[in-house]
Amino acid sequence: MEKVIIIRYAEIHLKGKNRGYFEHMFSVNLERSLRGIRHELHRTNGRYLVAKFDENRAEEIAARISRVFGIHSYSLGYRTESAIESIFEAAKLVGPQSGTFKVETHRGDKCYPMTSPEVSREIGARLLAEFPALTVDVHTPQSAVYVDIRENGFALVFGSFEKGVGGMPVSTSGKGLLLISGGIDSPVAGYMMAKRGMSVHYLHFHSYPYTSDMAKEKVISLAKLLSRYALTEELTTVSVTHIQEEIHEKCAAELNVTLLRRFMFRIAERIARNRGDQCLITGESLGQVASQTIEGMTSSNAVVSLPVLRPLVGFDKEEIITRAKEIGTFETSILPYEDCCTVFLPDHPAIKPKLSFIEEEEAKLNVEALVEEALAGAQRLKLY
Amino acid sequence: MIYFDHAATSPPLHSALKSAECYLDECFYNPSARYAGARDVSLALEHARETLLRLVSDGFAYTLVFTSGGTEADNTAIFSAAKRGNVVTDEGEHAAVYECFKSLKAAGGDVRFAPLGRDGAVNAEALISLVDDKTTLVSVMHVNNETGAINDINALAKRVKEKNPRCLFMSDGVQSYGKIPVYLNGAVDFYTLSAHKIGGMKGTGALIVKKGIALTPRLFGGGQEGGLRSGTENVFGAVGFAAAAQERFAALSENAARISALRETLWEMLNQNVFVRISPEHGSPYILTVAAKGMRGEVLQRMLWEKGVAVGTGSACNSKKPFSRVIAACGYQSDVLGGVLRASFSPETSEEEIVFCAHAMNECAAQWKA
Repeated sequence: MEKVIIIRYAEIHLKGKNRGYFEHMFSVNLERSLRGIRHELHRTNGRYLVAKFDENRAEEIAARISRVFGIHSYSLGYRTESAIESIFEAAKLVGPQSGTFKVETHRGDKCYPMTSPEVSREIGARLLAEFPALTVDVHTPQSAVYVDIRENGFALVFGSFEKGVGGMPVSTSGKGLLLISGGIDSPVAGYMMAKRGMSVHYLHFHSYPYTSDMAKEKVISLAKLLSRYALTEELTTVSVTHIQEEIHEKCAAELNVTLLRRFMFRIAERIARNRGDQCLITGESLGQVASQTIEGMTSSNAVVSLPVLRPLVGFDKEEIITRAKEIGTFETSILPYEDCCTVFLPDHPAIKPKLSFIEEEEAKLNVEALVEEALAGAQRLKLY
Repeated sequence: MIYFDHAATSPPLHSALKSAECYLDECFYNPSARYAGARDVSLALEHARETLLRLVSDGFAYTLVFTSGGTEADNTAIFSAAKRGNVVTDEGEHAAVYECFKSLKAAGGDVRFAPLGRDGAVNAEALISLVDDKTTLVSVMHVNNETGAINDINALAKRVKEKNPRCLFMSDGVQSYGKIPVYLNGAVDFYTLSAHKIGGMKGTGALIVKKGIALTPRLFGGGQEGGLRSGTENVFGAVGFAAAAQERFAALSENAARISALRETLWEMLNQNVFVRISPEHGSPYILTVAAKGMRGEVLQRMLWEKGVAVGTGSACNSKKPFSRVIAACGYQSDVLGGVLRASFSPETSEEEIVFCAHAMNECAAQWKA
């Protein structure tokens, strides 16, 4: 008898001829999430088993697995020989000792000498004899024991199904570049794209010395938190200090943010194309701030040809915060370090900037040289 | 790198490291042990205690308890003395004191805060008027760590005792010990010290306490420090602290006079259209706090770092909050509050450094304006 974690995948079983590819990426992601913990990963029909790990780390493994996209549910349980004695020994460990319960058996091995209801009855009867405080309730039991008899002479015994995060395995749905700030929204946007299987890379703009090293450290922390799900290993940072200074000096104050965002999009697109990313991802939500109006988005989109995905566009702040709390990035996001947007903030930013006005103002700047300069200073940081 | 943040921490003095070195090496014994080697270590600790104590007080009237730093010393004194009735302090205190009083207040205590003058010194009349016959503790810092203003603690303690002889008087001496002349006059009951502000090591501090005052221990265990502060003693830190203090006290007045002049040089060289002076002229020689109008101190701080100058923005312990509580309590408005910079010096500060720093500060401010 050995402690194992049983993993069942979500949507992948809907796949037809591509299923092998999805299953492969899924197992690669499981391995990546368990990096640094000794274990073995086995694939059995439609299930994965994590085995041969230090039992003291079972909770830690379960916590990591709970964040892998593509998992429908997982269970902590035991793998035993399929003899009824062994199954009972395992059932004693996973099952309840008091209250109401039921035993549910699934028999993959049709040559097994007992039928599923017979196994359930036998294990149930033995548990009742062992623990007098138990009673059977097959309709609304307080707890349950699940027995899964497999073909190759062993059985899985577990007590509950833990819900996974669902979604699709990361890196089965293309690559995107996430513009990550220190705020609440962008990590959530990255999470949502990763959940649909996108491989998400991170790009952060800072304006040192107007922003602090602490602000950058905060983004690194956020990126690491997000990477528990997205499994991304790298963060690119680009300084836009000079660009902000130039805009501040030469252009109309109300367009500060609009112009800066156009620069950010240009730089992001160059980096994305270099990396092979197929889209940009932002945490914009319609109307949330002055630059996130449809006019603002139009003006940013006008300078890039890659699609810009905005998974939060129809979300309220409250909804985003709820998700950020679930993901675990909220507490870090609200640390009080400024990111580059707030330093040169005008008193009255333009909320509906006209493209012609924007282009007129932008003509005062040497756009190409500024973009090149920013790109030359790009830094790549390993997250772990 | 020109380091002008000595009020946050000062690099350890060579003499401190040298004299303390052997206590991390061959004299590693536990001072509580009974064999000869350990007794020597214990004697060194007692010698350090005597040295530190006698530099600022009558060693027969006061004792000294080693702690992990100024914060622990402050906490021990406050929670030992604040029992019933009311307690009085001021708005300018360092967080290590201020937060203690806030926690007393949160627990339902009667805590009274005296207002500050424009320079950060406590308003003495207001402070005394808050003291009554129910007051058990008055706490006033000696040198304000954010502005450098000096409170005359001996005089304040005397006035407090005249009004209520049973009231205890405490002073946070972290920014004054080894920097400005002081000798406790007997009316001061607690005086707290930190080693790393004067060239000792971090993790070492002390509480000077008048004999006969019962302290309430915060840490229980092996009964070290007379049962007041259990835990194996930090002999290395204590010996280094004593050596640093001796070096600083040996040239206290000469250093103070020289640095005072340098501080004025720095102020005179700064662009006075941009910078507002917050530090008083007759404050600690080692602190010059200014504010750049309409700018942000933390941004200037990073610009200065790029130019090779390290300065502080208000209290380093407090830099996670946007404004300094203390400077705000001095009565400044938000246009000044955001731009506070604190240059703090050591006796080793040179004129060249001062001149370089002044130019760098002016350049950064000009860069911002552009």
